[in-house]
Amino acid sequence: MKSNFLTVIIIAMFLLLVFSTISENPLYHVNWALCSVIILGLAMLAFFWSFEKSEAVSKEVVLIATMASLAAISRVPFVVIMGLQPTTFIVMITGYVFGTRTGFMVGAVAALVSNFFLGQGPWTPWQMFCWGMCGVAAGLLAGRDKEFQLIKFTVLGGICGYLFGWTMNIWHWVGFIYPLTLKTFLATYIASIAFDTLHALGNIVFSMIFGRSFYNVLMRFKKKILVRFLASDNLVK
Amino acid sequence: MLVYREKDNLIHKLHPFTIVAFVGVVFILSLVLSHPVYLLGLFLAVGVVIIAAGHLKEWKVYLKFSIIMIIIIMIINAIFAQVGETVLFIGPRIPVLGKIKITMEALAFGAGMGVRLLVIISAFCLYTYAVHPDKVLKLFSKWGNKSVIVITLSTRLLPLMVGDYLRITEVQRCRGVKLDTGRWWERAKNILPVVSVILISCLERSLQLAESMHARGYGSGFRTYYTRELWRPRDYIILTALFISFITGVWAALQGWSNYSYYPRLSVINLGEIKAASIVVLTLMIPAILNWGWKKCPLLKSKI
Repeated sequence: MKSNFLTVIIIAMFLLLVFSTISENPLYHVNWALCSVIILGLAMLAFFWSFEKSEAVSKEVVLIATMASLAAISRVPFVVIMGLQPTTFIVMITGYVFGTRTGFMVGAVAALVSNFFLGQGPWTPWQMFCWGMCGVAAGLLAGRDKEFQLIKFTVLGGICGYLFGWTMNIWHWVGFIYPLTLKTFLATYIASIAFDTLHALGNIVFSMIFGRSFYNVLMRFKKKILVRFLASDNLVK
Repeated sequence: MLVYREKDNLIHKLHPFTIVAFVGVVFILSLVLSHPVYLLGLFLAVGVVIIAAGHLKEWKVYLKFSIIMIIIIMIINAIFAQVGETVLFIGPRIPVLGKIKITMEALAFGAGMGVRLLVIISAFCLYTYAVHPDKVLKLFSKWGNKSVIVITLSTRLLPLMVGDYLRITEVQRCRGVKLDTGRWWERAKNILPVVSVILISCLERSLQLAESMHARGYGSGFRTYYTRELWRPRDYIILTALFISFITGVWAALQGWSNYSYYPRLSVINLGEIKAASIVVLTLMIPAILNWGWKKCPLLKSKI
């Protein structure tokens, strides 16, 4: 059931993209603002669905909620300085320690919850997606590492700072700019470069200062909540 | 902390699905329709509903913020869209872009997109101030039990963390740690230990919470759910109106009425386009009209 659902979503996204590139069909002059929101929504639906169908227990559920609200609250004092946000760092370190699925959920929920307080808008799904992807990227980076790789993590933090801004720019470009040409595309990206650099620098600084200590605390906590049930014949009679 | 405030009017007493549907219909229509008359109509309708909900003050803040964004959109469009015929200004030659030519059509397009932005921002302003987030989440509780509990829990934990932060910083101040005076890097250095204390105390709390949920049988079997929200006649009336509005809007888009060509010259506005637009706008205004009746006429109030 789970894999069927994911396949359907992936095929739907692919068909939508293919049809929009072939001329002589009604989807060719598709409204890109609407189309991009649909594709984004489908992608997030797949992630949320996989979380719903997972074997997550109460400890994991509460952990995601806690880290998400910590990430959300860290946004509030920095909201005046657009770009500089410790949220990305908290989402990434959680993804790094607990894996891709937890990372995505923390990022997506942090964006949603912080916007209950800062104001919802058309940017909410985009922020949910971008922060979720930051968590996924950190989770993938961790792989099977036994130790904390500060340099690797910091570099990824810098890259994620730019990728976050570049993905958010797509919304702005597709929704409000005409004509959709390479020139306007570049102009939108050049306009945002200062904010993106600030975001990347912020991520690097937060990773350098808090990376190691957050990793140790979360790792200790991970060991604490990890429960393995042994098969009954392994037990001492 | 939550910006939502309960108010005594019809908009605040609707079923959460109805108000979410209203915001959704306005959002989709604002993306589907690109004709300035339609967009202005949508803006008018949302504005009337926001005022009916009693959020004029908050809406003004949103509008001020979006005016800045609209100006940026208009400038980018005017510089990069070199297609219009009515040239207002020819600028100097710039290396990458060539000769800058500002046309009236490009400015008009920027303004049109600006109105679209205003509609979207206003719709979300209504959502932020007139819908309780928990009520919306409960709509999904039938299907997404884990995701919903994660979001609800973290909304609840947020104020608790603010409390934690205030408590810990107060203790630090009592111990003579300077958090408010001194140079900024000294203050930053003093705040660093607080961050890890908050992290640890949050994680400890989450463990207790998880154990308490576990002890109460969370995830142990089939989960039941219930809802306190009632469907009333007002919801059916508004949902019907929204349906009519949505169908008219999509129909107008398919007929090509909602396409307005800015380039190469601004086109004329037909009467037929305005007729369909007025249907869309009037049906979208029904919540505000019902709210007016709800306040003026006790009989209507008792019936809906």
